Amino acid sequence: MNRAERPPVSYFTIWVWLVILIAVGLLFVALPISKLAAVAVIFTAATIKAGLVVRHYMHLRAQPVMLYAIAGVPVMLAVFMVLALVPDIAWRP
Amino acid sequence: MMSAIAAAGQPQQMEGGIAQLPIGRVGIWWFLASEIMVFGGLLGSYILSRIAAGGWELERAHVNTGLAAVNTLILVTSSFTIVKAHSAVEAEQHTRARHFLLFTVLLGLMFLCNKGYEYSVELAHGFTPATGLFWSYYYAMTGLHGLHVLIGVAVNFVLWTLAGGRGWATVQQRVEYAGLYWHFVDVVWIFLFPLLYLA
Repeated sequence: MNRAERPPVSYFTIWVWLVILIAVGLLFVALPISKLAAVAVIFTAATIKAGLVVRHYMHLRAQPVMLYAIAGVPVMLAVFMVLALVPDIAWRP
Repeated sequence: MMSAIAAAGQPQQMEGGIAQLPIGRVGIWWFLASEIMVFGGLLGSYILSRIAAGGWELERAHVNTGLAAVNTLILVTSSFTIVKAHSAVEAEQHTRARHFLLFTVLLGLMFLCNKGYEYSVELAHGFTPATGLFWSYYYAMTGLHGLHVLIGVAVNFVLWTLAGGRGWATVQQRVEYAGLYWHFVDVVWIFLFPLLYLA
């Protein structure tokens, strides 16, 4: 791990943010808001959490673009599979 | 001959576009890419099946959200401890690194114990993989993830043992690779938790 791979903030600070985001997810489940809004917040929080772990704990922020591609292509394929099939599932007769 | 032996102890370097990276790091990212496809396919089919079934609200009400939240905290904390172990290895603070590896192993075991308890309660209430599609997905996804946690615990335990015996030369780079795998297991849970327990 070279200097560039170290996160701009401490690992502990990132852990604190991860805990805060877990709490945010749990809080929005309990709040009397619409299900859609709660789901949107919960999955946004989950995506940010995953981003923090991947970028800072896995040090992807300091890696070459090729490593982003190795990790990113399967993610995009999985997301594309779901998005492409949702219309068939949601609007089937 | 001597230089060949000395080189064998060092991580090999990739040639080409990502030439500056140790070949082992690139290898573990390729492995993680294949794992993303496995879990991506499973999570994607769960989402689609759930939309098709109309939400599975009744089934989801029977899972233990509190215990799963504790498990999320445990895994996130174990990600912190393994990255601190990696950091300590880089700083050649061997005792500190061993302590963080041991913390990671213990947190992984705590996760598995909690999951085992959760399974036992659900099975006692009659929720088996054959109960319905939600429970089939639930046991398949959490079971596959649990298997990954178990493998991670075993790998980290072996590294902790080797580090105490034959010294650091054999494990230095492997702590980073084990850490990358462990973080991936954490990221998978970060998405499993809302999908199965919150949404």
